Amino acid sequence: MMINRAIINFDKSILDQIHNRSLELLQDCGIRFPSEKALEVFRSKGFRANGQTVYFEEKAIIDALGTVPAQFTIKARNPEKSICIGGGDYMMAPGYGPPFIIETTGEKRDATLEDVHKFCKLVQTSKCLDFNSSIVVQPNDVPTETAHLDILLGTILLTDKPLMGSTSSEVAALDSLRLAEKIWGNTNDPVMISLVDSLSPLQYADESVESLMVYAKAGQPVVVHSACSLGTTGPITIAGSLVISNATTLAGICLSQLLNPGTPIVYGLGGSPTEMRTGGYVNASPEDAKHTAIVTALARYYGIPCRSQGALTESFCLDYQAGMESAMMMTTAALSGVDVSLHTCGTYGSMLAMSFEKFIADEDLCGSLKKLIKPVEFSEEAFAMDLIKELGTSGNYLMQNHTMKRCRTAFFEPVLSTRAIHIKWQQMELREMDKRAGKILADRLSSYEKPDIDPMLERDLVRYVEQRKGV
Amino acid sequence: MTVKEIFDAVLAFDEATVTGKTQAELDGGTDIDAILNDGLISAMDEVGERFSSGELFVPEMLMAAQAMKAGLAILKPHLSAGQSQSKGVVVIGTVKGDLHDIGKNLVSMMMEGAGFEVVDLGVDVESEAFVKTAAEKNAQVIALSALLTTTMPSMESTVKAVKEAGMATRTIIGGAPVTQAFADQIGADGYSADAPGAVKLVKELVA
Ligand code: B12
Repeated sequence: MMINRAIINFDKSILDQIHNRSLELLQDCGIRFPSEKALEVFRSKGFRANGQTVYFEEKAIIDALGTVPAQFTIKARNPEKSICIGGGDYMMAPGYGPPFIIETTGEKRDATLEDVHKFCKLVQTSKCLDFNSSIVVQPNDVPTETAHLDILLGTILLTDKPLMGSTSSEVAALDSLRLAEKIWGNTNDPVMISLVDSLSPLQYADESVESLMVYAKAGQPVVVHSACSLGTTGPITIAGSLVISNATTLAGICLSQLLNPGTPIVYGLGGSPTEMRTGGYVNASPEDAKHTAIVTALARYYGIPCRSQGALTESFCLDYQAGMESAMMMTTAALSGVDVSLHTCGTYGSMLAMSFEKFIADEDLCGSLKKLIKPVEFSEEAFAMDLIKELGTSGNYLMQNHTMKRCRTAFFEPVLSTRAIHIKWQQMELREMDKRAGKILADRLSSYEKPDIDPMLERDLVRYVEQRKGV
Repeated sequence: MTVKEIFDAVLAFDEATVTGKTQAELDGGTDIDAILNDGLISAMDEVGERFSSGELFVPEMLMAAQAMKAGLAILKPHLSAGQSQSKGVVVIGTVKGDLHDIGKNLVSMMMEGAGFEVVDLGVDVESEAFVKTAAEKNAQVIALSALLTTTMPSMESTVKAVKEAGMATRTIIGGAPVTQAFADQIGADGYSADAPGAVKLVKELVA
């Protein structure tokens, strides 16, 4: 029997349609690139252009998709923490971009560089997060033009997991590469990934495109992502949104491959409802999640890795809504087979704020999902036939070696969620989830240890940042 | 036929009926002031209220505004100088360095719907452009939008430029990361967290 579940029920003919209609848009409407540097590349390769709008023929898109690798590895400062993207595992990074912190009191305040550092320490000690964000929060207490340097330096020194490079400007992208060079020397191996957002509909911002070009030339992986606000910057229907965003993302991918065939790319599309009573942006909804599912299918169709949104919510506190929305977004991504998610830990209300307590709670969600998608073991030992026969109906499995050997690893063990019986729960000193999270947070930060780094390298990195900041 | 039918047609987002009835009333010799105020403008006031209370959705509000404007276009050649159809001129834009325009467009469309003449300068707008356009258009209000904390300083420089130009034009600001405290800090004349609030603010400022 065919199960008619909306989000898993698309056959290849639907994907063909989305693809072909995207090509139609690329040929007929084109994509706007307000960057002379980008236009020059397109012109030199013989693309049709009109003003800042570039038109794409099918062949150009197919050729570009043909050179995008199906998987790649990003080196970490600690080689054991390097990550493979597209190899089947689900890679997660924390919040991206929020300028505010929301405290447990509900108070909202500007984020600072100290917050960036605290989040870095949490990423470093996280069991589920695989790489860093380039703007875990946007610090408000350092100059905007050089904030990317402060963030990146903090991230390199406080963690040894893979890095994200800045895309806030061409200069910021170049700075990111310079810092990476200090660690890895002049290399074409992927050592940092970055996020390039298009400017819906059907265009890119100049700084995004120029950042994309910097990273592509250096062979560094880029997440090319397009998303529209359904009914506002794109059609209100998911089908229309998919076509418009797919066309835009494909154009960005094409530029990366023209500059440097083989540049690793992570494909991304999103789409979020407009709150029709206010025009507001909603980022955690069944419609968002549906995009995730279909987009994963599209990425498989193209044979390239893909990215989705993470544990997003419209809530401003650690309540049922925050959990429900975050879980819907993340579970859909996990079950669809997404390769990379950003925003997986710590995000509140429309991606405008981060919360330390939500970060801890999201880690439980992410950890449990990583466990959920892990293939079930079907080995001889796992079937435990001998044991089942031996114990028959009398069995006490608790006393068996088979159980004993696995009792610490068989199950996911939440850090924050309670599994206590009612009386114990009633007696708990910290019954509310955010208070328990606060306690875990304090423990994590106090037990944090800075990863080893060559003092010469550290000095070199600090000096570069100081010079650039004119200190 | 009555002016009430024009009012109802605006509330039904029915542009064809609005223009048809407006023309008919005009031809029938109904007082232009009555058509304008009791028909079109009071209908938009009602739309504004229904939108603020959450009864109307954004596209409905915008369609109503469009229907109202179509009716207005028919009256326009017949309006005397005293019956100016505009409540005031607002110059709006997203500040330098910032390309977010969804919220700004919404504010702009709602202000138009409320009867203001809106000059929309788009995104990534320099301080000088705000000042220059406001002077040319004799605008009462300059409305600035920013969605990035990193471009909020452009609001400050624009507000400063307006003051330095010695203009009487009032400045209002908004956008997700912007707050009343920030508005106070940079000396802007007003702040609102949403589009209906922005319209109310402008009404107060030009009153
Ligand atoms: C949609 C969106 C985009 C779209 C913009 C499409 C477009 N055409 O506008 C795209 C994808 C292109 C984009 C790009 C970027 N974005 Co963006 N974006 C958003 C998002 C998700 C929603 C904004 C929105 O449209 N909301 C809906 C509208 C209706 O709400 P609103 O704008 O707040 O407007 C309402 C009120 O504020 C008020 N209002 C607005 N203007 C005015 C003006 C006046 C005078 C008044 C009185 C009131 C008022 O009324 C409106 C209606 O009620 C926000 C997150 C968020 N929740 O805000 C991030 C967000 C603002 N973006 C962010 C970032 C970082 C970026 C990029 C830098 C990402 C990148 N690396 O490329 C680029 C910047 C490009 C640039 N130079 O501007 C960050 C900002 C962080 C910060 N430091 O402040 C946010 C918070 C997301 C995040 N966590 O990363 N973005």
